Amino acid sequence: MTGPLLEVQSLSRRYGRVQAVDDLSFAMARGAITGFVGPNGAGKTTTMRIAATLDVPDRGDVFVDGVSVLVEPREARQRIGYMADQFRPYPNLDVPEYLDFFARAYGLRGRRRLQTVRSVAAFCGLDGFADRPATGLSKGMGQRLHLAKTLLHDPALLILDEPASGLDPRARIEFRALLKELAAAGKGILISSHILPELGELCDSVVVIEKGRRVVAGTIAEIQRSVAAEQAVRLRVLGDAEAAHRFLLTQPGVGAVAVDGDRLRFALAGGDAAAAALLQRAVAAGLSVVEFVRVEADLEDIFLQTTRGNVQ
Amino acid sequence: MTAARAEPPIGRWSRWSDRLNPILVREVQQAVKGRAFALTVLVALVVTVVIATAAVARGAAPDAGRGVFDAGLTTLVPLVLFVVPMQAYHSMRLELRAGIVEQLLLSRLRPRAIVAGKLAAALVQFGLYVSILAPLLATSYLLRGVDVATIATSLGLALVFCLGATAAAISAAAQGATAALQPIGQVVAAFGFGMLSFAMMTFVGTGEYARDLGWLLRRAEFPAVLSAIVLGAAAATTLSALTAQTFLLHAFENRSTGFRVYLFGLPLLALAWIGCFVEPALWAERTAAVVFAATLLGIVFGVFFCTEQRELSPRVRAHVPRRAWAAALAAPWLPGRERGMLCLLLYLAAVGALGWLVWPDPTAATLVFAPGVRVTAFTTGLLRLAAFTAAYGLIYLTLGKGLRRWLPPTFAGNQLARFAVPGLCVLFCLVPVLIDVFLRDGVDQWHGLHVLNPFWTCERFAFRPERGSVLTGLLAAAAGCVLLQLRGLAHGIGEVRAAAALRRRAEAVAWLRRRTASPARSRRWRRATGWRSAARGPAAGRGRSAGSAPAARSSCSISAPMRPATTCATSTGAATRAASSCGCGCTRRKWRRTSTWCSTPRRRWPAPPARSARRGCWRRRSCSGAGARAPRCGC
Repeated sequence: MTGPLLEVQSLSRRYGRVQAVDDLSFAMARGAITGFVGPNGAGKTTTMRIAATLDVPDRGDVFVDGVSVLVEPREARQRIGYMADQFRPYPNLDVPEYLDFFARAYGLRGRRRLQTVRSVAAFCGLDGFADRPATGLSKGMGQRLHLAKTLLHDPALLILDEPASGLDPRARIEFRALLKELAAAGKGILISSHILPELGELCDSVVVIEKGRRVVAGTIAEIQRSVAAEQAVRLRVLGDAEAAHRFLLTQPGVGAVAVDGDRLRFALAGGDAAAAALLQRAVAAGLSVVEFVRVEADLEDIFLQTTRGNVQ
Repeated sequence: MTAARAEPPIGRWSRWSDRLNPILVREVQQAVKGRAFALTVLVALVVTVVIATAAVARGAAPDAGRGVFDAGLTTLVPLVLFVVPMQAYHSMRLELRAGIVEQLLLSRLRPRAIVAGKLAAALVQFGLYVSILAPLLATSYLLRGVDVATIATSLGLALVFCLGATAAAISAAAQGATAALQPIGQVVAAFGFGMLSFAMMTFVGTGEYARDLGWLLRRAEFPAVLSAIVLGAAAATTLSALTAQTFLLHAFENRSTGFRVYLFGLPLLALAWIGCFVEPALWAERTAAVVFAATLLGIVFGVFFCTEQRELSPRVRAHVPRRAWAAALAAPWLPGRERGMLCLLLYLAAVGALGWLVWPDPTAATLVFAPGVRVTAFTTGLLRLAAFTAAYGLIYLTLGKGLRRWLPPTFAGNQLARFAVPGLCVLFCLVPVLIDVFLRDGVDQWHGLHVLNPFWTCERFAFRPERGSVLTGLLAAAAGCVLLQLRGLAHGIGEVRAAAALRRRAEAVAWLRRRTASPARSRRWRRATGWRSAARGPAAGRGRSAGSAPAARSSCSISAPMRPATTCATSTGAATRAASSCGCGCTRRKWRRTSTWCSTPRRRWPAPPARSARRGCWRRRSCSGAGARAPRCGC
C-alpha cells in the first residue's frame, strides 16, 4: 500500500445552523505525526470523530488506509485507534482488568491477550499501577491508560483529540515521548492540541483549519515558506539602538521594525542576498552589530498568521 | 512495546472466559466489586434468614410450606423485576453518558454483542439471587407447601420476565435522546419497574399466585398458557433488544432489516402456536384474531418503515447483493421509506391471504382447515376490522410518507415524522368533531366527514356486514394511495438494482485492473510455479469451495507471521478504495487458526464482458489460481 494513511475528501458536516466542517480535504502519510490545529469550534473534533467512524458527514468521505469510513466502518475501525478528549473509565475495575476487557473486546484471545495487555501496560508505564482502580488514576496516568487501551489492537492510525490537555508539564513531556516512540514504530498519528509549541516539536506536518475550512496544510517548513513572504530578522547592536532603528527605517525591503532594549526585530523582504547586503550596509554605517539572526517562524506564528480567530 | 519477556501464565479461567462475551465478563467483575451488589445480596440473605426463622417459629402449621414459598417468591420478585433491570439500565446509561459505548463500538464488539452481554449478565445475577433464595424454596417443598412443578414453573416465569424487563431497561437506556431527558427517563424507568414489582409482589405475597398457578397446573390448558406467556415475553425481549442495538448502530448501518424480518416472523409464530395448542374447530376464529392483530402490528411497524430516509446509505449501498435479481428480491428488506412501504404491502398481502383463507367462504376455508371449522359472525367481524385497519393504515401512512418528504433527511426528521403520523390521525378525528360542535349543533351521529376517524368508523361499520360500502370505499382509497406511490416503489427497487450494478461494475474494473497490473511479473511467476498446468487440473474444475483439494489450499496458504489475518484487507465494497492488499482478489479465511488460505468465491467475481476474461476467472477459481498474485503479498 503506497497511498496515504489518512485521506479526508471534501468533508462537510453541519449541526443545525452551524457549519462545523466545510469542504475539508487533506491527507496524511504513513508513519507521520500530523498536528491538527485550529481555534475552538473550528471543527477538529468533528473531523476526528468522522474519521473514527463515530459520526457521519453530510458530504465527503474519509479513507483510512484506503478504506472508506462510511462504506466499511468496521474494517476502518480495525485500523484506527481513537483517543477522545475525555476519558472516563469503568468504575469498579482496576487497571489490568480494564485493559483486559478491552483486549477481549478487540478480539484478542488466550496468551496473546495477556501478552498484549502486559506489553501495552509496560509501554505506557502502567506497570506499577496494577492494583489501582482505573477511576483512581491521576489525569496523566488516566491518559496513559487511555492510550494503552487505544494501542491494544495495534492500529495503524492513531487519532488523538487533545490528549495533553489538563496534563502537568512532566506528564505532558512523558506523553510526548510516548508518541514519538509510537511514530518511530511506524504508526501514523493525527493529533489535535492547543499547545502549539509542543505540536511544533512533535509533528512532521500540520493541518490548520478555521471555521471548518482548511487554512493551510503541509510540513512546517513548507508552511513557513508559504506563509512568510518576508523573513523575520533579529538584530542586536552595541550602544545606541535608536540609531539602528533610524538606519533600518531608511533601508529598502525593511518593515515592521520593533525595538526591545538593544534588540530590534524587523521583517525583511528578499532572500539571503538581501539579508547579507543589509548586514554589510549596517556595518558600513557604523553600527556595532552583535547579532544578526533570521528568526524561524514557529507553529504559533504560523497559526496566528493563518487564522483570524473566527469562532462559530 | 513487544519486548521479549517471560510468557505470562494463562489460567484455566482465563482460557475458558475467552469464549464468553466480554461484556458479561466485565459486568460480573464490576458487580462483584460493587457496593450495590453486595448490599442487595446482604439484604436478600437477611430476608431469607428472617423468613426461615419465622417458618421454624410457626412449627408444623398446615400452610407453613405455602407461606415460605410465597415469602421467598415475594423476595425474589423485586430482585428480578427491579434490581436486575435497573442495574442493566444504569450500566447502559453510564456507558452512553461517559462515551464508553463509543469506545466499545470502535472495538470488534457489535451492538448485538453488547446487548447480549448485558442480558447474559442479567441471567447470571438471576441465577445468583435464585441460589440465595433456593433454601427457602426447598424448605417450602419439604414442608409440602408446593410441588416441584410449581417451583420450576415459577422460576421459569421469573427468568422470562427478568429477561424481558432487562431488555426493556436496556432499550430505554439506549434511547435516551438528550441529556436533559435522561434523569426523567431514569425516574420513569424506576417508577415503571417499581410499580411492576409492587404489583407482582402483591399478587404473589397474598397467595393468589400460588393458588392460581396450582389450579392452572391441573388444567389441560396449562401448556398453551405457559407457551403463550413465554412466546410473548420472548417476542417482547427480542423487540427490545433489536431496538436497543439499533440505537447503538453506526448511522449508516442497516437498521431496518431486523425489524422487517421480526414483523414477518411474529404472525408465523402465532400461527405455529395456534397449530400446536388450539383445537382445530377454533382455528378459523383464532386465525382471524391473528390476522387482525398482525394487521394492526404491521401498521404500527409501518409508521417506522415509511418514515425512514429515502436513500440507501453508502454502507448499505456497498453491500447490496451483486446480482440484479437478488438485489430486487432484497429490496423490500433494505432501509428506505419506499422499500419500507413495499415491505409493508407485501406483509399486508401475506396477512390478507391468510385472512382470505378464513373468510366465511367455505371453499377457501376448507382448503386449509379441517371440515367442521366454525366461521362465526365474530370471525367475520374480526376480518372486516382487519380490512378497515389495513385501509386506514395505508391511507395515513401515505399521508405520513408525503409529509416526510418535507422534513429534513436526518434521523431527527424520521422521529418527527413518526410523531406526525399519529398526530395527523388525531387531527382528522378532531376536525369533524369540532365542525359538529361549532357548526352542526353538537356531535350527533356519524356522517361522511367522520370517515377519516378510524376509531368511530370501525366501531360503527366493522361488525355490520350489511354496510359494506364504507369498507369498499376505504379499500378503494387505500388502493389509490398505493397506485400513487408506484413510482416511488419502483424507485426503491431501482435504487437497489442500481447499487448492485454499480457494485458489479466497480468489482469488474478492480478485477481487470488487478489482472492487467503486472503481466510480466505474473507471467514470470506462472512460468516458475507451473500455475497454468495446476489450474487446468482437477482442482480448478472443482472450484474454490471450502471442500476444495487440500493440496490447492496448502499451495496458497499464507503463514500468519507474514501478514496477520486481521490486517489482511480484501476488496469488499464498491467504494472501498484499496484493492486487496494481496492483490489476488480473494477472501481469506482462517485455517486451523494458524494460517489463512485464499479462496475466491464465485459470487465475489465480477461478470466481465469478455469471454476470455471469464475463462481466466474460471481458471483462477482454483485456490492455486487465486495465489497467482501471491508475490505481491508474499503468499
